[in-house]
Amino acid sequence: MKRFLALLLASLLLMSLALTGCKKDDTKEGSNKTDDTQQPPKKVEEVAKEVEDDPSVKTLNIYAFTDEVPKMLQKYKELNPDFPYEINETIIATTDGLYQPALDQALAGGGADAPDIYVVEAAFVLKYCQGDAYQYAAPYADLGIDVDRLLEEAEIAPYTVEIGTNPDGKLVGLGYQATGGAFIYRRSLAKDTWGTDDPEVIKGKIGPGWDKFFEAAEELKAKGYAIVSGDGDIWHAVENSSDQGWVVDGKLTIDPKREEFLDLSKKLKDNGYHNDTQDWTDAWYADMKGVGEKPVFGFFGPAWLINYVMAGNSGGEKIGEGTYGDWAVCEPPVGFFWGGSWVLANKDTKIPKTVGKIIEWITLDYSENGLQYMWANGTFDPESGTKDTVASGAVMKISNGEIDFLNGQNMFDAFVPAGEFANGKNLTQYDETINGHFRGQVREYTAGNKTREQALADFKQLVADNLDVEVDLDN
Amino acid sequence: MRHETTIPQKIYKVIIYVSCILLAILSIIPFYIMIVNATRGTYEIQSNAISLIPSKFLSSNYKVFEGKSFNPFVGFYNSFIISTGATVLSVYFSSLTAYALVAYNWKLRQAFFTFIMAVMMVPGQLLSVGFYQFMYRIGWTNSYLPLILPAIAAPMTVFFMRQYLIGTLSLDIVNSGRIDGAGEFHIFNRIILPIMKPAIATQAIFAFVASWNNYFMPSILLTNKSKYTMPIMISQLKGDIYKTEYGAVYLGLTLTVLPLFLVYFALSKYIIAGVALGGVKE
Amino acid sequence: MRRKGVSYAKYGYIFSIPFVLAYIVFQLYPLLFTTIIGFTDFKGIGRTDFKFLEDIFANFKSVIKNPSFQKSLGNTVGMWIVNFIPQILLALLLTAWFTNNRRKIKGQGFFKVVFYMPNIITQATIAILFSTLFAYPTGPVNSLLQSLGFIDAPIYLLLNKTLARGIVSFIQFWMWYGYTMIIFISGVLGINPELFEAAEIDGATSRQAFFKITLPNLRTIMLFTLVTSLIGGLNMFDVPKLFQAGGPDSATLTAATFIYNQAFSGSYLYNRASAASLIMFVIISICSATLFLIMYDRDAAKLRKQERKLIKSLKKAEKETRRMGK
Repeated sequence: MKRFLALLLASLLLMSLALTGCKKDDTKEGSNKTDDTQQPPKKVEEVAKEVEDDPSVKTLNIYAFTDEVPKMLQKYKELNPDFPYEINETIIATTDGLYQPALDQALAGGGADAPDIYVVEAAFVLKYCQGDAYQYAAPYADLGIDVDRLLEEAEIAPYTVEIGTNPDGKLVGLGYQATGGAFIYRRSLAKDTWGTDDPEVIKGKIGPGWDKFFEAAEELKAKGYAIVSGDGDIWHAVENSSDQGWVVDGKLTIDPKREEFLDLSKKLKDNGYHNDTQDWTDAWYADMKGVGEKPVFGFFGPAWLINYVMAGNSGGEKIGEGTYGDWAVCEPPVGFFWGGSWVLANKDTKIPKTVGKIIEWITLDYSENGLQYMWANGTFDPESGTKDTVASGAVMKISNGEIDFLNGQNMFDAFVPAGEFANGKNLTQYDETINGHFRGQVREYTAGNKTREQALADFKQLVADNLDVEVDLDN
Repeated sequence: MRHETTIPQKIYKVIIYVSCILLAILSIIPFYIMIVNATRGTYEIQSNAISLIPSKFLSSNYKVFEGKSFNPFVGFYNSFIISTGATVLSVYFSSLTAYALVAYNWKLRQAFFTFIMAVMMVPGQLLSVGFYQFMYRIGWTNSYLPLILPAIAAPMTVFFMRQYLIGTLSLDIVNSGRIDGAGEFHIFNRIILPIMKPAIATQAIFAFVASWNNYFMPSILLTNKSKYTMPIMISQLKGDIYKTEYGAVYLGLTLTVLPLFLVYFALSKYIIAGVALGGVKE
Repeated sequence: MRRKGVSYAKYGYIFSIPFVLAYIVFQLYPLLFTTIIGFTDFKGIGRTDFKFLEDIFANFKSVIKNPSFQKSLGNTVGMWIVNFIPQILLALLLTAWFTNNRRKIKGQGFFKVVFYMPNIITQATIAILFSTLFAYPTGPVNSLLQSLGFIDAPIYLLLNKTLARGIVSFIQFWMWYGYTMIIFISGVLGINPELFEAAEIDGATSRQAFFKITLPNLRTIMLFTLVTSLIGGLNMFDVPKLFQAGGPDSATLTAATFIYNQAFSGSYLYNRASAASLIMFVIISICSATLFLIMYDRDAAKLRKQERKLIKSLKKAEKETRRMGK
C-alpha cells in the first residue's frame, strides 16, 4: 500500500523546490510567470562570449531521458583523447513522468551535482526554453558559440531554432535530429490503386490539403484498403499544421484546424477509411506488417518512425520479407513535425568552454567530423546503423539517405523539405495534457457517445478544471 | 456433530478446491506472461503483447543489458542492502513501538497512538518530498541511509503490530519474565519478539516488497550508476516511447521478481505452518 | 527491592523514542510545508515567493466546486467499495478454509503463497497488462468474444465507462485479496490455540468455531484492514493512472489522479493540489475515526481488563519478591 501515488511524489517534490526558494524573498520574480505569453520570441543577434573553464572541476554532469546523448558524449571523449572530464550520466526515463521533477530539482538545487548539460524532449521543450524553467538555460552565445554564423552555415531547420529561442530572443537549445514528417506509404497498394508508386505522383493524390486526402481515401476504399491505421495517425499532422497553439495570452484557443479534427476523425470512422486503431497498440503495429483488418496505405511520421518503429514491425529484415521494402516516402498533405530532443546547458556551469564545444559539436557542427554527419549516415556505425534526418540542412546535402526499407529511395529527398513546412509557433507547455483531453473527447464523439457540441463543451470544462488557463465556458 | 463427511460436505470440499485452483491460475498467469515475454523480441511483443509460447530472444534481451550498462548483479546487491536494512529496522522498531503502546500504561499513550494514526492517513508521498529536500541539503544523496533509516518510523506497521499484540499478548508472560528478574528490554527481545513471529513475518514480507519495488525516491536520490537499484535499472531500459526495449524490460522485471519470491518463500513458513505461539503455553 | 511499587510507565516513553525521533527528522517538516501551501498563492515552478491568500480558503473552495474533483471523489469511493467488499469477504472465506484445523486442505501452503503473488508485481505492469487484454480493435478479450460468437465485430471495450471502472476495481481486488488474507491468517495464528481446543472439546462445528472464536478475535486485525484499505483505496493512483490515464471521459479519474493533474499536468497548481490533499486527508480521517468509534470499544475494554490483571499480578509479584527478600 505504500507504493501507490509514486507519481504524486513527483509533484510534491517540485513543491519542495519552492520551499528552498521562498526563503530568499525575491519578490520581483513575481507571480505572473505562469501566464507566459504564447507569442514566440524573436531571435536577436548574438555575439559569442569569451569563456574559460574552472580548472578545479573534474566531472561533467549530464541529465537525459535516454542514453542517446550520453552516448554521444562518450563518443566525443573517444574522439578527443585529451578530454579531461569524467562524464557523470543521470538517465531517467520519461515514461513514468519522473524525469522533469528530477531535472527541476537538480537545476534548482545547483552545486556540484547540478547538470552541466541536459536534454529535453519535444513534449516539454517549451517549458525549458521559453516557459516556467527557461531561466536555467544558458544562451549558446554565453558558452562561446558563434551562434548566428553557424546557424546560417549549417542551415539549421527554422522550427528547431524557433523552439529553442528564449523570451529574451537568445538561442538556448537546439536539436540534432530533424523531425519533420512525411507520408510513408505502401508501394504495392499505390500501384494497385493508381498504377504507379512514384512519390511525385502520390503526393499529388493525397494532397495538398485534407480534401484531396479524403478523395484518395475513397479511391483506396474502393480497392478495399484503408488510407491510415487510425485517427491518431493524422492527429500529429493536424496538430502541427494549425496556426495557433492551444493557449494564446493565457486563454484556451481552439484553432479551427484543430477543431476540424473532430470532423476528420468522424469522417474516417463513419466511412471506414481506417482500421480504427490507436497509436502504440498491437493493432497499430499489425498494420505496419500489413496483417490488420484491411491493408493500410500509409503512416504519417518523421524518419525516426521508420527507423525505430516501422522497420522492426514490418515483419521482415530485407526486401521482399513482410512489408519490408514495400514502402516509399512523399510529401504529406500538410506539413508537420513530431518529436525530437533539444540539448541545453546550465547557465551556472563551471565549465562553459567545454560544454559549449560539446554542444556545438552535437548541434551546429556541419562538417564530416560533426555528430550530425555520423547521425545521418548510420549513427556511429556506417555499415549497419540506422540513418536519421538531422537538423543541419548542410549535412543533409552531403549525406545519403538511401535505405532498403524504402526499396532504395533516398528518404532525405522527402524529409528534408518536410523540415521546412514544420513550424514551432503553435507549441505550448500544456500540449501534452490538452492533447490528451482533446483526443479523449474526440474519441467519445466519433464512437457516437456524445454530440459534437457536448464533446467540445466537456473538453473545455476539463481544461478549466485541470489547468490555470482561462476558458470561455459559455460558447 | 462428529459425522461431518456427509455428501454436502464433499461437495463443499470440491468447491473449495476448484475455487482455490482457479484463483491460483489467475495469480500465476501474469507471471507466466512476464517470463515468456522475457524470452521474446521487442517487435514480437509489439505485434502481440500477450503470448503463452516462449521465443528465442532471451540471450539477445540479455545483451541489451550490456549495451545499456545494466548489471543485474550490482542492482541485486544494492537493492538487497537497502531492502534488508529497511525491513529489519521497520519490523523491529515497529514491534518495539507497538509494545510500548500495548504493554505499558503511560500518560501520553492514547495521544501517541492517535498521532500515529493521523500520520498514517497523510499520503506517505507528502512526507517524502521535504525529506528528499532535506537529504539533498545535508548531502545524503547517493547514500543508502535515507532509504533505510526512515523505516524506523513506519506508522502502518506499528498499527498492525499493536492490533496484533492486543489480540495476543498476555501480560502474564511479561510478568513471569519480570519475576525472573529480566529487564524490560530483555523481555521484549527474548519473550515478546518470538511471540510476534507471524506478525513480523507478515510485515517483513510487505516491507521488503515495498522497499524492493520502490522506484521514485531511489531514482532521485541515487544518481551514481554504481548505486542504482533494480527498478532504476529497468527504467533505464524504457527510455522514451519510441525506443523501448520491451523484451529486455520484461527480462529485467522477471529478474527483479525472483528475489522477492525467495524472500517470500523463506518467510512464508511462519504464515503457512502456523508457528505456535511459543510463549503463550505455560 | 524498592519500597515503592514498581512503575513501568517510563518504558512506554523510552520505547517510543526511536519512532518519534525518526519521524521528526525525516517527515515532520514536509508535512507542515504541504499544509501551509494550501492556503497560499503558490503555483508555477521557479517561484521564489508566495503569500497567504486574502480569502484564506480560496483554494479549498475552488477545489470543492471543481466538477472534475467532485467526479473523481465519486469514482474513488465507488471503485473502492466495489473492490473492497468482495476482497474482504473472499479473504475471510479463504482464511476460514485455511485455518480450519479439522478439514486440512491439501496444498494450502501453496495456495497461500500463490494468492499473495499478484501483490509482488508492480502495479504499473498489471495496469498495462490489462489495457492490452482489452485492447481494440484486436485484443485477447475481443478475439475471444468473437470466436465464441458473442459479438460480430470488435467492440471498443475500454470506452465503456462501467467496464473501465469495473476493471480498475477488479485489478485492485485481485492484487489485494491475498494481502488481506495473509493479514487475517497471521491474526488467526495469534489467537490462543487453547480457545480452539476448548471449542472442539465442547463439540462445536467448524462453522461455529469460526463465527464464535475466530471472527471476534480477529476484530482488532479487521480494524487494521478496514482502516488501511480505506486509506489506500481513497488514495488509489497507480492503476487508474496507468490503465487509461483516468479515462475514458474521466470515468476512472480518482482523487489522487486529480491531485496529480493539478500539480503536474502543465500549470503546477501546487496550492490547489495541496488544498485537495488536505481535503482528502480530512475525509479519510473522518471515515477512519468512524471506523474506530464503531470497533474501538472492545479493544479498549480488553486493554483495561489486561491492565487490571497486570496490576493484580504485579502486586502479587511484589509480595513474592518481598517475601523472598526477607
